[in-house]
Amino acid sequence: MTGLSTTKSLGLVPTIAGVTFRQLVGRRRALLLLLLCAVPVLVALMMRGADVRDVDAAAGGVLDRLIVGLILPIVAVLFGTAAFGAEIEDGTIVYLLAKPVPRWAIVAAKILAAVGATAALTVGSVALSSLIAITRLGDEATRIAEVYLLATAVGSICYVAVFVALSLFTRRALMIGFAYVLIWEGTLSSLLPGIANLSIRQYALGVGQLVTKVPSSWGAELEPETAVPLAVIVVVAATVLATRRLMRLEISGETD
Amino acid sequence: MKPTGSAPAGPTIQLDGVARWYGNVVAVNDISFKLEPGVTGLLGPNGAGKTTLLHMLAGFLAPSAGEVRVLGRRPHLDPAVYRQIGLVPEREAVYPFMTGLEYVRFNGRLQGLPDPDVAARAAIAQVDLVEAQDRAVGTYSKGMRQRVKVAGALVHDPQVLLLDEPFNGMDPRQRLVMMDLLCDMAEAGKTILFSSHILEEVERVGSEILVIVAGRLAASGDYRAIRTLMTDRPHTINIRSSDNRRLATKLMADPAIFAVELGPESVAVRTAHLSIFRQLIAGASRDAGVRLLEVTPADESLESVFEYLVRR
Repeated sequence: MTGLSTTKSLGLVPTIAGVTFRQLVGRRRALLLLLLCAVPVLVALMMRGADVRDVDAAAGGVLDRLIVGLILPIVAVLFGTAAFGAEIEDGTIVYLLAKPVPRWAIVAAKILAAVGATAALTVGSVALSSLIAITRLGDEATRIAEVYLLATAVGSICYVAVFVALSLFTRRALMIGFAYVLIWEGTLSSLLPGIANLSIRQYALGVGQLVTKVPSSWGAELEPETAVPLAVIVVVAATVLATRRLMRLEISGETD
Repeated sequence: MKPTGSAPAGPTIQLDGVARWYGNVVAVNDISFKLEPGVTGLLGPNGAGKTTLLHMLAGFLAPSAGEVRVLGRRPHLDPAVYRQIGLVPEREAVYPFMTGLEYVRFNGRLQGLPDPDVAARAAIAQVDLVEAQDRAVGTYSKGMRQRVKVAGALVHDPQVLLLDEPFNGMDPRQRLVMMDLLCDMAEAGKTILFSSHILEEVERVGSEILVIVAGRLAASGDYRAIRTLMTDRPHTINIRSSDNRRLATKLMADPAIFAVELGPESVAVRTAHLSIFRQLIAGASRDAGVRLLEVTPADESLESVFEYLVRR
């Protein structure tokens, strides 16, 4: 008696991810996050209406501070922790665990689904906001919008991988995730130099600068040469840790 | 089911000295048994440790002590064993946005079946749910959810089926269909272990039963023998009458009664023969010229029956 082959297991990743995606977007929380991601689009519309032509205000304010600095990590922490957390909470996780599917495939599917949901909202928000208020400001502004498209996509992957793993280690993953985003990245990173090496936001912005350099006043501290390997390490480490944890995850009965 | 130590090699399920505790709380304590093909009922009151035991068999919990083996493998370390295990958990939750057919097909896919659709349709037919297969599970009744869970558990034709309170929420007809299904599967050589806190459910399906009380195995074996143990145990009956003292004196003279305790408002009688007592009490009250006001068994809860088995 053997488990499923690697090829067959890989084939199941989209199947499990599809079910998880439906779980994530089928909740009221997804609607609230959609509204949250509509905020930058509304701001962009107002800027367009007011004919704002300052790239710093338009791209720096909407893409950097509002989306990458605030909305992306919030969406990622909510989808990332819910990918396993919701199933553990309602008990449906047993239908996945009582199968001969390698645990790495389940983790990969969960990350894929949560990244899909996060990126669909946040990258979509960047794209729409840019089309409305930024790309019209010229080639340089368009290049900056591309930086943030890439940074948001990379940030989605890195944040989600970390928060998916975190949700398997603690029931307080949501609280810890918010603390990381708001206290560590939101406050301490501007006070303590050197924190960039431990900031997912900085990895995302660093990778984004493969497209072009953004103004240093916006807070990007890492060069792509540093950011790319750090981002890869974070995703791989989170996936490995989550897989190891899932292999040992215990589910006690509700009544006993 | 064989007592540990005397069974032939290769039982489907084997537990040796298994215990599971959470901090200072002992949920399951020193349980050993072996199961072979057939239906076995796991009987015990709520909180006895049935779900913990089933979760250890399903690999969701590692034993704190002892060893659990299913088909010779340790399930909590070996996901490959799930190719031969079907599990119906107690919790009702099933993906509410899926139709019944989608849910069972999803289970078939995760089992790596070559044609999950055909297997899913066959499993749905087995649990008599064809008419509702295209409805979202979220719209199902509790009994229908139980049945779709069973279909999901047997879609890959497993050798071992573990069911936690499978009859919860089913109407009488659905129960009979499910009981027949389990019996058919047992005849086909499957090993089926299902938990229940209702004796009548267990005795209708399981030829063998395991009784678990407060985390310990209180009794195991043929259900008829255990049923006899349960019915022939000492019973206490509280009686209120127009003259308790006179009735107590009359009852004391009968050999079927081995203790009588006179209280301020009633008399408590202990007997090992309930059926004889039922005939005796009417004649005794008539002969004593006493009017019976109330006859109440004092210890008929299932818990008290289980406690008696533990003390034996």
